[in-house]
Amino acid sequence: MAAPAGTQIRLLLVRNLREGVRNPILAYALPVVIPLAMLILVAKTLSRVTDLPGFPTDNFAEWMTPAVIMLTAMTGVGYAATSLVLDIQSGFVDRLRLLDASPAWLLLSRLLFDVARVLPAGVALLGVGVLLGTEVNEGLVGIAGLFALLTLWAAAYGGLYFVIALATRNAQSPLALAPLFLPLQFLSTQFVPRSLLPRWVQVASAWNPFTYMIDAARALITGPLTLAPVARAVGVALAMLMITQLLCRLAFARAVGDR
Amino acid sequence: MLRPCVSPFRLCAPLLSIRVSTAAIEAVDLAKSYGEVQALKGVSFEVARGEIFGFLGRNGAGKSTAVRILTTLLRPTSGQARVLGIDVEAHRAKVRRVLGVTLQEAALDDLMTGREHLLLAGRLCGLTKARARDRADQLLESFGLASAADRIAARYSGGMRRRLDVAMALVREPQVLFLDEPTTGLDPQSRRALWMRIRELRDRGAAVFLTTQYIAEAEELASRVAIVHDGRLAAVDGVEALKRRCGTTVVKLHWAGGQAPAAARFAPLDGLTVSEGDDGWMQVAVDGGEPEVPAVVARLAPLGGAIERLVVEGPSLEEVFVSLTGSGIDSNAGSNDSQSFSAVRRGMGFSSTRGA
Repeated sequence: MAAPAGTQIRLLLVRNLREGVRNPILAYALPVVIPLAMLILVAKTLSRVTDLPGFPTDNFAEWMTPAVIMLTAMTGVGYAATSLVLDIQSGFVDRLRLLDASPAWLLLSRLLFDVARVLPAGVALLGVGVLLGTEVNEGLVGIAGLFALLTLWAAAYGGLYFVIALATRNAQSPLALAPLFLPLQFLSTQFVPRSLLPRWVQVASAWNPFTYMIDAARALITGPLTLAPVARAVGVALAMLMITQLLCRLAFARAVGDR
Repeated sequence: MLRPCVSPFRLCAPLLSIRVSTAAIEAVDLAKSYGEVQALKGVSFEVARGEIFGFLGRNGAGKSTAVRILTTLLRPTSGQARVLGIDVEAHRAKVRRVLGVTLQEAALDDLMTGREHLLLAGRLCGLTKARARDRADQLLESFGLASAADRIAARYSGGMRRRLDVAMALVREPQVLFLDEPTTGLDPQSRRALWMRIRELRDRGAAVFLTTQYIAEAEELASRVAIVHDGRLAAVDGVEALKRRCGTTVVKLHWAGGQAPAAARFAPLDGLTVSEGDDGWMQVAVDGGEPEVPAVVARLAPLGGAIERLVVEGPSLEEVFVSLTGSGIDSNAGSNDSQSFSAVRRGMGFSSTRGA
């Protein structure tokens, strides 16, 4: 008999995590690099931005910290999607299917691996943010909520990489998607509040899922914690997760010729 | 009147969606198209339990497509396939549980050790942790990988990778084993070691479906072969039967003095194709095979001159392959054995004449 679902997911996830340990720079160090640079360099070089009338805080690092924590999901994911395509190309996925591993758990274990890579980066950035003066006003509840949202967002955004990687069956294709975080940052409230954005950017930011993640992350760390931004972020991330996972399943079935 | 005895199992078989069958593998009119390209154009064959069945063909002939369909990895465009009587399309999970498969490339994770590969395979197919560990140790030992068990696969040689790949296919002690070109890229020693293991599995009752481009390999291992050419089966039969049917036994004679006597050269030898080399060798094709060789020699001996040396060469599977497919297997894929054999056959510069 095939191993039960829980065992399959655990075995496959352990395999992925171990692979990460044997390739630590790419797997675990990379997700933290860009957000950390963003937090330290941008927050320090543009610290006078807070002088603008209407800016809600006088510490730019505090304004940036929740946003860059959510940014780790966008700079960190992709590795697992590339690994999955390499597994398909090497025949390892076929091998696993012949051993009764379910395609759904194969995908899930890869997705969870991406999330697992992002969470330590999130913790590191929260630590650096606090050192730079970010006040964690909503305490442990806020932090727990932040990491739950980061998990969901990493899975939702990571799904895009899986869709592209599986649809093109090209292990390099996630690389092409990597710079997407750049325009998404500028078309959001990462750097300045909505009121200070030009009109057209305000409109664009309302269509940008990242905006909702940033707004919720700010509510969860610096406060005040209200339900509305968190509920909106969870709704947007869940919708994105469902759509990307549905497309992933279809693309995965096509990629392994399982029609 | 005697009534045939009907077992309860046979009666229940339709309800269990299992077709009672003695064959380990059955393919009925299997076809597969990828868009315009027809990889398989309707192939049918059966493989018995305890049999090594060779599936012989050039690159792109359709071998791997057949393997992928029979091992549930690919759905056929039409036709049916059953493994141990279980339909491969309708009951994929059931079929997978009786299979051991190695695909064309050794499917390994470069960052996992040999032991981790076998443990993962064992656990995924439902073994307990302790059972999986025992099985892994046992396989590592028997495939000569024990000393490299904790090295990552990226540091394995080609032969070690292939051995680990086959070991993974054996984790669940399969009843039906599919080996897709298992010895491609192996050195002769590793190849022979793997052949020995394949025979052991056959002896334990497993059916082995072996695709290969090496004619010598099929000849060495398989009791029956299918020759696949351009998506169709050119022949399915026992190796010896095929040779009898399509191959020719050749008698080579070397006459004292380096030249055949005139009587032998010009006599009308009914039913024999005679070719004469410029180095004193005469080659006679014997249509009736080995049993007729003494009679042929008896006809040639009294023609004068003394026969100095006599060599009898049985028909080869390569000859069968060429006669059925119109050309040889890729020369760069042929084994050293078959290449040197062809060289012997061709290198004598014979010109042939056939008796009336």
